[in-house]
Order: sequence, then C-alpha cells, then structure tokens
Amino acid sequence: MGLDYLATVLLSALSSASILLIATIGLAVVFGLMGVINLAHGEFLMIGAYAALTATQHGVPFVLSIPIAVIVTVVIGAIVEMLIINRLYGRLFDTMLATWGLSMVFYQLAVLMFGTVTPGIGMPAYSLHIGRYSLAAYPLLMIFVAAAMMAFVYMLMIRTPYGRKARAAIQVPDMAQAIGIDSRKTNTMTFSIGCGLAGFAGAVLLPIVPATPAMGFAFVIKAFLAVVVAGPVALTGAAIAALGAGGGASVVASFFTSVVGDVFFFSITAALLWLYPQGISAQWRRKM
Amino acid sequence: MRKLLLAIAVVASAGMTEIAQAETKVGAIFDLTGGLNIYGIQQNEALNLAIEDINGHGGLLGQPVKVVSYDAQSELPKYTQYANTAILRDKIDVLFAGLTSSSREALRPVVRKAKLPYFYSSLYEGGACDKETFVTGPSASQQLSVLIDWAVKKYGKKIYIMAPDYNFGSISAHWVHEYAKKLGAEVVGEDFLALSITDYAPTIQKIQSTKPDFVVALPVGANQTGFLEQFAAAGLKKSIGVVSTNYGSGNQQVVVSPAAGEGLIADQGYFMAVDNPANAAFIKLWTAKYGSDTPIVSEAVDTWNAVHLWAEAVKKAGTAESAAVIKALEGGLTFEAPNGTVKLEAGSHHLRQNIYIAEGDAKHSFKIVETFKDVAPSYENEKCDLVAHPDTAEQFTP
Repeated sequence: MGLDYLATVLLSALSSASILLIATIGLAVVFGLMGVINLAHGEFLMIGAYAALTATQHGVPFVLSIPIAVIVTVVIGAIVEMLIINRLYGRLFDTMLATWGLSMVFYQLAVLMFGTVTPGIGMPAYSLHIGRYSLAAYPLLMIFVAAAMMAFVYMLMIRTPYGRKARAAIQVPDMAQAIGIDSRKTNTMTFSIGCGLAGFAGAVLLPIVPATPAMGFAFVIKAFLAVVVAGPVALTGAAIAALGAGGGASVVASFFTSVVGDVFFFSITAALLWLYPQGISAQWRRKM
Repeated sequence: MRKLLLAIAVVASAGMTEIAQAETKVGAIFDLTGGLNIYGIQQNEALNLAIEDINGHGGLLGQPVKVVSYDAQSELPKYTQYANTAILRDKIDVLFAGLTSSSREALRPVVRKAKLPYFYSSLYEGGACDKETFVTGPSASQQLSVLIDWAVKKYGKKIYIMAPDYNFGSISAHWVHEYAKKLGAEVVGEDFLALSITDYAPTIQKIQSTKPDFVVALPVGANQTGFLEQFAAAGLKKSIGVVSTNYGSGNQQVVVSPAAGEGLIADQGYFMAVDNPANAAFIKLWTAKYGSDTPIVSEAVDTWNAVHLWAEAVKKAGTAESAAVIKALEGGLTFEAPNGTVKLEAGSHHLRQNIYIAEGDAKHSFKIVETFKDVAPSYENEKCDLVAHPDTAEQFTP
C-alpha cells in the first residue's frame, strides 16, 4: 500500500462526502428551517436532472443548463408549497404523507414524459494522476461545488434580510407576523429555495448519476439520515454528518468492500442517533 | 314471463360455457410501473405483439387468444396476488410473468400448485428447475462460458469482478471463478455492490491497484450504470477491457455517453443488430406498432419466443390443457426466433440458443463481434431432468 493509494482514497472520500452533501443541502434547508420533511426531495433532484438534460439536448451548454434546472425546480417548489405544504404546517406526519404521494406522482410523470431510458451526457474525460492511480476529475470538482453551495446558503440565511425573516418566521411565527413579516410569503420562498438547491444538485451531479425517473431513491435515504443526524443546526451539522458518515464509508469501502462501506454508514448513523437523539448539533450555539 | 327468463338464462349460460371451452386465455404479469419497468413494459409489449401475430394467423384451436394483463408495479407481493387472481378468477391457461429472480421464485410454488405452465423470460443466474416452469432467457453459465473464454483470449488472464450484491451477482461471480480456473486465468479481485451505490471511486481504486486485464462488470439498475461512466472518466478504458452479461439488457447503452459506451463488450442471447430474416421481420412488426425510439431489449425477445413456443405446444397437443401442453413442450420444440433457432431442452426446460458477443459503438448501439451457435444450458441440463424426475422443484446453485 503506497502513499499514492492513501492520497487517492482520501481525495475520493472527500469527493464522496461532497456529493452526499450537495444532495443533502436542499433538504437540510427545508427541514432545518421549516421543520418540514420533504419526502419528494429526491424527485426534485430528478426534476433538476431532467431539466438540465433536456436543456443540453436542445443545444444549451451544460454549465448554462444548471441555472435553468434551478429556475424550473424553484418554480415547481413554489407551486407545491402554495398548493400543498402551506396547508399542513405543524402537521409533521401529514406533510410526510403528502410529499410522499407527491414523489410518486413526479416519478410516474417522469416515466410518462421521458420514458424509462434517456441518453446520459457523460462525464468530462479529464482525469487526475497520483502516482500509479488516476481519478476522474469531475467528482473531485464536486468538493469545490459543495463548499460554494455551503457558503452561498450560509450567506443567504445569515447575512440577508430574507434569511433573518425566514428564521424568524419559523422560530417565532406569531412575533414575526406582529412585526410585519409576511410569514406565508417567506415560507413559500424558503421551500422553493430548498427545491431549487435540490434541482441544482440533480443538474450538477448529472454527469455522475444519469437521469432516470428513479434516481431520487439513490440519494434520498442517505440525505435524510445526514439531516437527522445533523439536528437543529442543519447546515453545519449536515456538512459534518456527510463528511463523517459519507466520507468514512468511502474510506472503509476502499479498504474492504462497498457493502462494508454501507454497513459503516448505517452503523455510524445509528450510533450517533443513539448518543445524540436530537442530532449532533443539539447543544451547539450556532445559527445555521 | 318465467319461461322467457328461463330461456334467456339457458341461452346465456350455454353461450358462456361455449366461450369458456373454446377460448384460450393467456395471463401476463409484468412490471409496467416502478423501477423495473425498463424491462417490464417491453416484455408486456412483446407478449401483446406475439398474441396479435398468432391471432392474425387464425389464433389457436380455431379461436383468437385472449390476454389478461396485470401490472406488478415492481413489487414482489403483487406477483403472487395477481397470479392467484389470474388463475382462480380469470382461469388462464398459461402464465407469462416476472423479471427478477425473486419474482420467479415467488411464482413457482403458485403455478406448481395450479399445475399451470409458466414462462419466465429474462436472463438470470440459472438453476431453476420445476415441472411447470419454462425459462426462455439464457442462464449465467450459458452466457459466461463463452464470454470468459473470449475475453481471456482477447485481453489476458487477470480478471476483476464488479457485481451486484445478491444472488445474480454472487452466482455469476462463482461461474467467472470456475471458468477462469478452467482457462488458467486468475480472479485478482472482486467487489459486490449494493444497488443504491452511486459513487464508484473505491471500486475504481481497487481495480487500479489489482491491475486486471479486464473487468467483468454486471451493473444492475440505473445507479450501477454510473460505474461505467466513472470507469471511463478515470481513463481506465484504454488499458482495461470491460465485459458484461447484462449490459444492454435494460438499454444501458442508451443511458451511458458514447465515450463510456464505445468498446464495451456485452454478451447476450439477443441484440437488435442480429442479422437474420426472422429478426428483420420481428423488428418490422415491432416498429410498426411501437415505433423505433427505444431499442428492443433481449427480455422482449425472450417473451416473444416464450409465447410462440407455448403456441406451438398448444397446436401440437391440440388442446390448451396444462398436462398435455407441458408434455408437448417437452417434445423437443424448436422455433425460428429473432435471435436464431432456439430449442427447448426437454429435461431442463431451458433454451439451447445462440449467444452473441457484441461491442458498443459511439452511437448508443451495438455491433455483433462473434456468434456462438446453439450454446447449451449445460449446468441446467446436468442438474435438472424433469422428464426423469418430474417432482423436482428447486433452484440449483453451484
């Protein structure tokens, strides 16, 4: 076992964790800020992926197809919030049921619109060489994408008036309304931002995970576990959970098998939830 | 008034019994929705096309054949539920159903109890042996025997196995080990992967550290197709070959990019590129009804063959009654199929059929590289003789 192997293992573990984090951030925003468990999160990822794919098929360069995917998912997210979610605030299980139903509808719509197989767009054929090993460059790029996404959401929620309003509207809704914050509007905004982040994830991960109607399932379980482990400080918590559980699973998979990697992921999340039933960030004094 | 009612009742019941006697009913249970519909929709389309073809040529026993269709929704319990409904309520004469091995294993006891001929039309890990069950897809040993031999000659003797973590993967891996040993080749590493994995970096590193000449990749489902993309993007395709028994069976060649798909080797019982008159006629019939947007998968042809073999047996037996049809099916039936002549082996209820090795091109399709004629399901023939031992009911594993 050489130093080069170790370096590639660490780098790809970091990229695995970043991919998980990219898929999780939208969920973390919606769950962390609104207390809504959006079981259709995976399907918003899928919608983002198909939006980007359709755009590239019409000649739009891949980089420009990503903002298109974000716009599409933000709009659909806003519609869903106004039609369904805002009638169900504070009813955790009802929202879960509603969004679960929604996920089935989106899934079947995708089958009807795009069929069961659609051409992928492939991964840019750049690779990075470390000693005797080569790594695909695009997944490594995801490390920077995840960092940029984190920074964006953090700035948005902490430094902008909207962010302050969004946190106020959820934490003390009556008081927020009393001082003139339109909490309905703010909630619509927050939910659709969460969906937009999912759409961004689906689009940016398209070269790694081909667009299929069922692609949401692949991410959604691990994303949920990361958010639940994260606890109340959703954003920072999710980052640490993704890094620890997702990155750790990747390292374990490199030395044993991928199945052992998965076992590691689920055991560590179970252990963390046993130690911290409210999530790892329950005692933290941070805002996001 | 009473007389009139009685007369109506008599006429109606006479009419009904007449229909019940003459009409042949085919039961179809496939995954038309849910994650497995990549395969299920085409299996169902192929079945309907075959029945239309048969009815267009005068039907069976002088009557058109009727189809009763159910959507299993990619959920296992639905298979047994609908199979029971189809048998008890619809009174079907034959059942065509299932894609996954778990669905077939769930159905076997149901059809055995009902003594109803059942056709399973998909490639699979092999070994299923049951009086009522007939398999029209190739088994893992049937495909791998020719593939490993071909790949060792082409690439070299060091093999890495990437397989899904359930019986299709582990039994296929067993065959790779066995054929490798026979050929003096060596399995330098293997990785079994959950169907939910999307990140293949650990597997790709292990492949690089063990330096194989080729990888036997058996990706199942959309996520595992990502492996091929990531393998290509890491720049490994130049030095390491990739061969597969199931790549293409769910139209994966359409999903992967041309850069990743070009040069991949697949071996199956059918590719659209197969060149023979039966296939040309079949493709013409198919595209006239379903269009040419989606390439035809091998499971569709397996289903087409299954329906026609059953129809041949009914004609031969002169009845759709189960025991007589099964006896006719065991009478050495052959069929001019789109994938070449297929022969139903009496003892094992599996097909002797051509196995094609094909290479992916840059246009999301395949070209045939080599054809192996009449490959026998030798493991099934060796273990399973339902003529001599009609009570056998198990899935043999190596």
